[in-house]
Amino acid sequence: MADPYKPRAAFAPWDRRELPGIFSVEDSARRVGNYKWLEMRLFESLGGWVATVPELDVKLVLGRHCYHHAWHAELMDKRLPELREMDTDRLCEAPNPEMEAFVEALREPEAPEHTIEKLVGVFRVLLPRKIAAYTYHLNGTSRITDSPTQRSLGFMLQDEFEDWREGEMLLQSLIETPEEVDRATRRQAELEKLILAAGGISGPGSLGPIVATEGASL
Amino acid sequence: MRKQLPPDMLARDSRFVRTSIMDQVMDPRNQKIGERDLGSARLQPERPAAADRARNLMHGIFTGEIQALEGAGRTTFDFDDDEAPFALKLDMARQCWDESRHVEISVKLGDWMGTEIGEYSEAVFLYEAACAPDPVLRLCGVNRALEGLAIDVFNTMKEFGDSSGDPVLEFCEDWMLADEVTHVKMGSDWLRRMTKDDPERLEKALEFQRTVDKLFSLGGFRGETEDNPIQLARNFRSMAGFSTDEIDEIAELAAQAKRDAEALVAGSS
Ligand SMILES: [Fe+2]
Ligand SMILES: [Fe+2]
Repeated sequence: MADPYKPRAAFAPWDRRELPGIFSVEDSARRVGNYKWLEMRLFESLGGWVATVPELDVKLVLGRHCYHHAWHAELMDKRLPELREMDTDRLCEAPNPEMEAFVEALREPEAPEHTIEKLVGVFRVLLPRKIAAYTYHLNGTSRITDSPTQRSLGFMLQDEFEDWREGEMLLQSLIETPEEVDRATRRQAELEKLILAAGGISGPGSLGPIVATEGASL
Repeated sequence: MRKQLPPDMLARDSRFVRTSIMDQVMDPRNQKIGERDLGSARLQPERPAAADRARNLMHGIFTGEIQALEGAGRTTFDFDDDEAPFALKLDMARQCWDESRHVEISVKLGDWMGTEIGEYSEAVFLYEAACAPDPVLRLCGVNRALEGLAIDVFNTMKEFGDSSGDPVLEFCEDWMLADEVTHVKMGSDWLRRMTKDDPERLEKALEFQRTVDKLFSLGGFRGETEDNPIQLARNFRSMAGFSTDEIDEIAELAAQAKRDAEALVAGSS
């Protein structure tokens, strides 16, 4: 019989998690605060749009996705006090005025004829940016010290991927003419410029500092 | 997008036909139908029109679910962070998902029962109650009054599914009933939480609820007698945070609404 008192390593051979991460407690909290703010603005926008879209399938998808992002906001809200942010409103903010301007522009369309513009903003501009920034955070933070944030980001990313796919498929089914292709790309370009000016969903550094290496060829 | 979207801006595809609730209630044909006095007004499978009445009611549930989805969605958007607490907005977002599923269930059930989208007209009274400028009023008018009515309707339909041997109808209504009890309870909980130190706001909200409850007892549509197609579901209402006194009050309001409608129809004919 195996000896239960025989010392074993704390980390099994297949457990390759490392201690270091690139974020301090404060860095992680700041990003989590930005995410909470953004998830709130997004779920409110989807909730508000439900009444403005005539397409029944789109209406129902927006209602479902509204809750996904509310749940993400709730996860981030719960994480903040664990990162020493007892006032969960303090860091619940946009990273900069440019990001506020982006969200303002994102939620601006209202008319029932503008479903394409609404969906392009969410599914072709914002969700890809969120997927990128959440992935950067997930991969960069310590897999041991900050694993509660990682776990939440993992759940959130799973929703983001699936929601993105669903939204993209709705868009492909709504865009029927070359003119509508132009509308979609025009809208995407407008919003891309705004989020570019913001530096991403948590400001410059959303995807980390880009360090150029002289003479790098690979 | 503006805050506070008026009911006439609700977006629908070309299949939907809009009507007003007063036109429906005051339709003079209602009196003629009433005069035939065929006995109990309850939904009973042995009555020849039962299947058509159930299909009509199911279509009404379908459009009501769309408006419940829209109303909950607007409540997440219409109020700034200092006007509606974060947790309330989360509840409303959750309700969006639930109502979205209810629309899906209603579409499938409509198919099952042989109804097409747009076969009956849509009155937007539920959404109208969701346009109140105070979130507490919305929760009273929509979650407590109209979703309370939904509890009564779903319970009646569930019983009709059972008595008419339709397990699909019974199954669906039972699941929607579970969600609806949750939504009504949300309304009851938020009403108490948000008016804890504000008796004036509480009274205003309850008054709004009374008005909505009376209006949507729909001239005898809902009550506790054989004359009411929709029966008051006391047990589910108490689960959802209604006191016995509050349920008694709704029963009385419903009886009053029936008397008022009869007097109105008699006066106009
Ligand atoms: Fe519902
Ligand atoms: Fe509901």
